[in-house]
Amino acid sequence: MADEVVMRDIDVLVIGGGLAGTFAAIKAREAGASHVVQVDKASVGRSGCSAFGAGVIRTFFPHEDDRDKAVYESVLRSHFLCDQERLAQHLDDVYDRIREMDSFGVEFEKTPDGKFDRILARGIYRRVMFRGGYRMMEAMRKAAIEKGVKIVDRVMVTDLLTDGGGAAGAIGFSTESGQVYEFYARSVVLATGRGFMKGRRPGHRNVTGDGMAAAYRAGVTLAGLDSAVPNTGPAHYDIGPGNNMYLGAGGLLVNSDGRRFAETFDPALKERTELGILSVACAIEARRGRTPLYLDMTGVEPEKVQRMKRVIPLPLMMYERAGVVVGDRFVKRIEWVIEGPSCNGGLLVNSRYETTLPGLFTCGDTMPAVGPEGQTALPGAMTSGARAGKYAAGYASEVPPPKISREQVAEFRERMFAPLKRRDGIEPDQVLLSVQEALMPYDVLVLRHEERLKAALQEVEGIWHGQVPLLQAYDPHYLRMAHEAGNIALVARMMLESALYRRESRESLREDYPYLDHTEWVKLVTVKRDGDRMELGAAPVPLERYKLRPPVEKVLHPLWRAAEKQGIIRVENGSVKWA
Amino acid sequence: MGVRKIDVSMCTGCAICVDYCPMDVLKMDGERQKAFIKYLRDCQSCFLCERVCPENAITCIPVYERRIPLPW
Ligand SMILES: Cc1cc2nc3c(=O)[nH]c(=O)nc-3n(C[C@H](O)[C@H](O)[C@H](O)COP(=O)(O)OP(=O)(O)OC[C@H]3O[C@@H](n4cnc5c(N)ncnc54)[C@H](O)[C@@H]3O)c2cc1C
Ligand code: SF4
Ligand code: SF4
Repeated sequence: MADEVVMRDIDVLVIGGGLAGTFAAIKAREAGASHVVQVDKASVGRSGCSAFGAGVIRTFFPHEDDRDKAVYESVLRSHFLCDQERLAQHLDDVYDRIREMDSFGVEFEKTPDGKFDRILARGIYRRVMFRGGYRMMEAMRKAAIEKGVKIVDRVMVTDLLTDGGGAAGAIGFSTESGQVYEFYARSVVLATGRGFMKGRRPGHRNVTGDGMAAAYRAGVTLAGLDSAVPNTGPAHYDIGPGNNMYLGAGGLLVNSDGRRFAETFDPALKERTELGILSVACAIEARRGRTPLYLDMTGVEPEKVQRMKRVIPLPLMMYERAGVVVGDRFVKRIEWVIEGPSCNGGLLVNSRYETTLPGLFTCGDTMPAVGPEGQTALPGAMTSGARAGKYAAGYASEVPPPKISREQVAEFRERMFAPLKRRDGIEPDQVLLSVQEALMPYDVLVLRHEERLKAALQEVEGIWHGQVPLLQAYDPHYLRMAHEAGNIALVARMMLESALYRRESRESLREDYPYLDHTEWVKLVTVKRDGDRMELGAAPVPLERYKLRPPVEKVLHPLWRAAEKQGIIRVENGSVKWA
Repeated sequence: MGVRKIDVSMCTGCAICVDYCPMDVLKMDGERQKAFIKYLRDCQSCFLCERVCPENAITCIPVYERRIPLPW
């Protein structure tokens, strides 16, 4: 292997080139950090979910919107799991970040008098629209370069370096040359995004939980990995995303009888309901044998389709190619399913974006996503990224340069290249497909039961012990795929263990624990490595510090209650029985 | 499947598609100065390469390359 590249004396190392990481890098520079490096396994601004963002940003405008209502709805829809201090920061900051992006050259849809045009999409908040995720991120990349951020593309980070208990940088390899990259840094911002499993819907298949897996190996505490609310998408076309635009424009979801069904669970918002409700509604239709499901956009007006072509040009191009969009009309219904699981957990983080490892900060999708309305998705990436970058720069100004141990580097290099050294090993694709088969059925992580979660965990443990150690790579590209497959398997284990740990229904429904239990479970499930063991625990939400608190009660989960009212289920001996 | 074809007669070898591809699917043939599809199986059908190619030399189709299990 060629000689390594060593980058020393970094003040802030940002890992991940999505919107969160790019804001972190920009703000670290603005806060005075002189040496800021941003690394991405693909290219900064051209990868991750941000570059494929579906055109809309849920934004709170202080001069137009009601703040108390925003706080109330966000906390309620997070099932009280959200950090209300960070939510307040988010609401303070989000409008300024939007204006900053405007000044960086991000193209927003504007009204004739130059104001941000806002539409209703999913949920209750109006959203601003930008034209094309990749164009938005190109403007952000340019802004980062202009601010003096040093960008390193095509380097996959495999492990976090630590010294004496603190973050000290990271190590990875070039997916082009296979060269080792060592980054020695006073502080690190981990912004590698979520743990997707290369499931349905293009745009996220390179976001494979690498950061969460590296943090786990480094002994950092993770949280919220029981949260796995998936999106919905087309069954047979490899097309996505855009659901906010589709459902906001009047797209209808119908079952095999041609009936709309979302309204059973959200009579007010119907299809525009939040994802947690929509995915449950789809799963219940499946449980009742009413599939296939369809998205019907044939009634959407041509002007709205024209707007989609501006705001989400890539998916619209794809639907044209598939013969679903002709001119300014959707001409066919689209068979619709729940997409593959997405791990919505992340690193346990406080209101200064610090993790449990000193000097390691996190933001965006690498933090646990709690609820659909608060500091999550693109707006969350903007506000958390900016703050994490600023705080990381502050930390870096106060600590000496790290002391890197050669033994640690040697150990990580060994692990990094092991798949390249194997002969007759296992293809990354085999591991990937096996994990997907264990996790994707709707009745594993959307409608949950201990027996099925345990069976899936047994599958994944088998893959972890039997296949992951044999992963083989032929070249640096395959080496990336091998590490991604291994990380996906590790994240899958953490998700299933966390899901089993939460014995109630909250964000997801359990058939065997159908109650929403505010007396016991206003907590994030945590995971941490303890040698070879996975240590599960819970981090209580500090409700005593917050203004909004749930009633101290244990009640049948509202979605189960709605299902019971419709005669779909009944509850017997504390367990759900299907009608 | 995503990326289907790079029309070599139209490709000027600017490497923009290679720089953009998030999945590391496309590479440059240094000798002929043309882009080519190297790791088709890892393509995520994002259409980014087609969209950014200044010569319109790339065609993508929205068809799955690998089997992804259905949820029901
Ligand atoms: C297809 C899609 C459409 C969406 N549309 C919208 C929308 O319209 N509005 C909205 O508000 N939200 C939307 N979301 C959610 C939103 O895009 C994300 O929440 C947000 O982009 C997260 O930003 P991020 O910077 O945290 O992560 P990402 O943008 O996912 O960036 C993570 C980055 O880390 C890099 N990386 C990962 N692992 C490594 C590694 N090992 N080494 C180096 N680099 C690594 C990746 O290449 C990537 O560039 C969408 C999500 C998806 C998947
Ligand atoms: S972007 Fe187009 S012209 Fe440029 S290398 Fe790729 S295929 Fe060729
Ligand atoms: S469609 Fe996307 S993933 Fe596939 S080759 Fe083009 S840019 Fe790469």
